[in-house]
Amino acid sequence: MSAHSATAHAHVDHARHELGFVRTYIFSTDHKMIARQFLFLGLFMMIIGGLLALIVRWQLAWPETAVPGLGGILKETGGILEPSTYNMAFTMHATIMIFFVIMPILAGAFGNFCIPLMIGARDMAFPFLNMLSFWVTGSAGIIMLSGFFVEGGHAAAGWTSYAPLSAVASYTGVNWGQNIWCISLFIMGVGSMMGSINYITTIINMRAPGMKLFRMPLVVWSLFITAILLLLALPVLTSGVAMLLFDRTLGTNWFKPAGGGEPLLWQHLFWYFGHPEVYILILPAMGIASEILPVFCRKPIFGYHAMAFSMIGIAFLSWIVYGHHMFVSGMSPALGMAFTVTTMIIAVPSAIKTFNWLGTMWGARMQFTVPMLNALAFVSMFVIGGLSGIFMASTPVDIYIQDTYFIVAHIHYVVFGGSIFGAFAAIYYWFPKMFGRMTNPFLGHLHFWGTFVFFNLTFFPMHIIGVGGQMRRIYNPTQYEFLVHQQGWNVFITYSALLLGVSQIPFVINFFWSLFAGKPAPLNPWNANTLEWTAPSPPPHLNWGPTLPTVYRGPYEYSSPESKEDFLPQNVPPVGAAGARRH
Amino acid sequence: MLDWWLPENVSTYGQEIDWLFHLIYYITGVTFILVFATMLAFIVMYRDRPGRKARYTHGNTTLEIVWTVVPALILVILTLLSVPAWSKIKMTMPETDFIVQVTAKQFNWQITYPGPDGKFGTADDKTLLDEMHVPVNKIVRVHLKSQDVIHSFFVPQFRMKQDAVPGREIKQWFEATKPGKYELPCAELCGFGHSGMRGWIYVHTADEYAKWAAQNLTAEAAPTTEAKPDDKADAKKEAPGKAEPKKEGKAKK
Amino acid sequence: MTTLTVEHPTDPRRTNGSLPPVPPEGGGGDGPDRDPAPRRPPLDNVRLAMLFLICAEVMFFGGLVSAFLVLRVTAAVWPPPLQPRLPVGVTAVNTLVLFASSVAMAAARQALRRDDARALVRRLGLAAGLGGAFLLVQGYEWVRLVSFGLTLSSDAYGTTFYSLIGAHAAHVLGALVWVAVVALLAARGRFTDGRTGPLRACAIYWHFVVALWPILFVAVYLI
Ligand code: HEA
Ligand code: HEA
Ligand code: CUA
Ligand SMILES: [Cu+2]
Repeated sequence: MSAHSATAHAHVDHARHELGFVRTYIFSTDHKMIARQFLFLGLFMMIIGGLLALIVRWQLAWPETAVPGLGGILKETGGILEPSTYNMAFTMHATIMIFFVIMPILAGAFGNFCIPLMIGARDMAFPFLNMLSFWVTGSAGIIMLSGFFVEGGHAAAGWTSYAPLSAVASYTGVNWGQNIWCISLFIMGVGSMMGSINYITTIINMRAPGMKLFRMPLVVWSLFITAILLLLALPVLTSGVAMLLFDRTLGTNWFKPAGGGEPLLWQHLFWYFGHPEVYILILPAMGIASEILPVFCRKPIFGYHAMAFSMIGIAFLSWIVYGHHMFVSGMSPALGMAFTVTTMIIAVPSAIKTFNWLGTMWGARMQFTVPMLNALAFVSMFVIGGLSGIFMASTPVDIYIQDTYFIVAHIHYVVFGGSIFGAFAAIYYWFPKMFGRMTNPFLGHLHFWGTFVFFNLTFFPMHIIGVGGQMRRIYNPTQYEFLVHQQGWNVFITYSALLLGVSQIPFVINFFWSLFAGKPAPLNPWNANTLEWTAPSPPPHLNWGPTLPTVYRGPYEYSSPESKEDFLPQNVPPVGAAGARRH
Repeated sequence: MLDWWLPENVSTYGQEIDWLFHLIYYITGVTFILVFATMLAFIVMYRDRPGRKARYTHGNTTLEIVWTVVPALILVILTLLSVPAWSKIKMTMPETDFIVQVTAKQFNWQITYPGPDGKFGTADDKTLLDEMHVPVNKIVRVHLKSQDVIHSFFVPQFRMKQDAVPGREIKQWFEATKPGKYELPCAELCGFGHSGMRGWIYVHTADEYAKWAAQNLTAEAAPTTEAKPDDKADAKKEAPGKAEPKKEGKAKK
Repeated sequence: MTTLTVEHPTDPRRTNGSLPPVPPEGGGGDGPDRDPAPRRPPLDNVRLAMLFLICAEVMFFGGLVSAFLVLRVTAAVWPPPLQPRLPVGVTAVNTLVLFASSVAMAAARQALRRDDARALVRRLGLAAGLGGAFLLVQGYEWVRLVSFGLTLSSDAYGTTFYSLIGAHAAHVLGALVWVAVVALLAARGRFTDGRTGPLRACAIYWHFVVALWPILFVAVYLI
């Protein structure tokens, strides 16, 4: 092994030399470098998306007072948000967070990093396409950001951009912003299609010897399923935004009732994409939790097959529940009833997963490292977010809570409590392999506890004001008499959100400090079983030396009765009694 | 102040919604406590201590079947309980002679009464801006329309919500049980004036309502609001300008 | 760091009756799924990737076509009385032209299999030419329709017609560029060394674009 890594190192230095700076760091075709690029893209965008959220929060707590720091940007108003600017802020907050934070980090970065390394491949099936996929997605991100600088401001019709509000410029007063929104998402759709084709092909065709489908780590399973969802869901959005763009620029009539169009058509197209999309956001995080829990429980995952099949089940069901976003949209109520049934059913696979995670913790030997804490937070926060989903799944209840802060609470418990905690867990867990250095545990704990506490203080009260009736997407809650008595909560939430933002600072420091000055990472710092820990940290180009690892067993053989150590890597050949039992 | 909960319910079917809401609240509450108690117990009991060994187990089929079937059953029951309320609220249209037309536009509710002849679209129609008057304990049917974008007719105290979609007329109903003045916010993002697009629903006792109708809905009473046709043109003219929206949004405070 | 050989624990572990799965013979895999290399997957990377690309395209056109059907079904009269009729006859003939180009493409693949480089280039060129002819005829018909007053913005009829057919035409155009590039490469002697990935991918895509057409033709022109 050490001999291998030595040659591999030599190989890497050689390759770096040969390729030069641009080919190594910028237009790289190496899946690990592309993964890092996606990670940086996502983290950078997260700062923008998060700051937009804080602007939104400021306005909600202290309506129509100057937002600190915005005086220089909103010159005419001296930093006070106008209603149209407020709409732009939450629209872009959600768009950026979903399409340019969570998708690049979970599917882009960890998809690229984990898939080849964990199935024992040297790279993706199409490395060049992989590079293109990053650059296409990155350009989409730049285009999206450019919308902030155009006349009329950026898109302001919500991340769902319901037509005809979004289809006619004069309804919002936004002209180019919404066009840019469409163009950027169109391009993003192309980029993600390239990526997902690559992932699927790689997983099907390029597994190392012995890596049967049911020996794949669950995170690879989750990325596999996510890629399939991406492949099939994004084109529907792509066609939708193309139609929307045509309506806006070429005068077509897809969604404009005056010309024979149908406004609800947009909602059907959007949610047909949108619901699979939310599972695209959560599935990789589920895989990450399933990966990290066994490692730090020192125990096999409970019900491996059930875990894989429940993800497949979620993926199938996610196509037939989308109507639950449209219960009061004017869609036929009979259809609404059908969607209730399917929405309730989709909670069952999630239940299976939750209880299997609990089963994994049962009888464990838990080590509370930073990745483990984040994974535990994922499980618990996802449960809260999922349970609030049950309220909305019941059609009569959804009549009342639809478009209130109860939904906003649900959104954030699943996407922040779920996907972002999953992303943090993954970053802390794979950082040593990705960058060859350990992160600082103290800063990690600080970040985790700050985030966990203030996350709950920010988003839990949203359930309360939602039940009280506060609508989402409103500029100023104090305009409504029935909401005034809740304003105290809005202030409280904003303080918590500001502290939640501050809690990210240790993460930023930790990330960059560890990147350059962290303790060098050993080969397998967590004593984990999966294949990536057999490659050097960070793995060189082509990942392993001349021979690829051969796989002998599933990924979660912790505390096996066959091994003296409490772990048994996938690539270690069996000996002794285990070998003998075969006969 | 512990009124951080559902606003007071003043409609007939609101009770059913509240009942379901509470039922789900208790079910999910119990689930939440069970999951969290188990998790915390495991975290404490099975933390890494010297000498502790993890159990080597890949699963347990019986357990897994139990925790698949039990939630599935609960969810099926919940679905079955949701269906009657839903079909009562959205799928049936009780007989009534009280019909109001509501036309949403950026950023107002236009409430149209058929006038003495009882028909819409005739000269004696009466249109009010942002206010609706209805008698208590009477089934009211609302015909929802929109002139421009999607709005949503939301009356928190009635537990009633329905989007108004341009190009369609959507029929809804409610029956208020308590006189009073209730807010009618718009719950679907409809542009810069979405926040503040708000009307009032006045629920009167039968006598009061008769009095009000006599004053306002008879042929002689002057229309409360301007004629309809120009509104759309106005909205279009105003919209692109940046100065106008500001006024719109603030004016409503 | 990693233990490379397995040693048995000195004291037994609690297993709740769970036993590790029996490890496989020799290599790594048991069963044909993942035997040690070398091993040929049933579908190579190029075919697999094209298959999934086509899945994505089908979803894209699925979105367009279902949107079209929704507008069509909800419209009171279809086609609207005052709009020009679509040229079914010419387009039917044009459909045959497109089919012919698919045949030419299949023939080109045949030539590749027989290592006939000249025929390959010729047939690729033929496929591209027929595809180009299809586009030209379509374009001509569009110009005529526009002159009769059917435009993108006239109503839902024009909207759906030009969007759907235009989306297909854009795909044909893209595929045409691809075929042209491949034909040029073939003329320069690429693909003779057995590395035929780009060519095969291009051929699959071309067949897909051709196969898509009849569906749109039936949906938009005939029903
Ligand atoms: C990661 C993203 C994610 C995930 C995983 C989910 C998961 C679920 N979501 Fe959510 N959802 C969103 C993201 C997500 N959602 C977003 C972004 C919106 C708003 C979009 C917008 O309008 O802007 C939304 C909106 C939304 C609505 C529309 C609300 C409205 O606008 O009126 C509904 C309605 O049914 C819904 C339901 C559900 C359900 C039933 C689940 C289920 O999958 C949850 C299943 C999980 C559990 C139930 C918990 C674990 C299970 C147990 C502990 C077992 C025991 C449980 C019981 C017996 C009940 N979601
Ligand atoms: C997908 C992920 C995601 C994430 C992560 C978040 C994160 C946050 N969201 Fe958001 N949100 C959505 C998705 C997400 N949101 C969606 C889909 C909607 C619906 C939009 C719609 O209606 O169309 C929404 C809507 C939404 C609303 C409702 C707006 C409205 O309806 O009017 C609010 C209001 O409070 C809100 C708040 C927040 C806050 C406070 C955070 C915080 O968690 C953010 C914390 C993060 C940071 C603060 C950034 C990181 C900071 C640093 C790295 C520090 C360095 C910088 C400095 C401090 C200088 N979000
Ligand atoms: Cu009208 Cu919001
Ligand atoms: Cu959904």
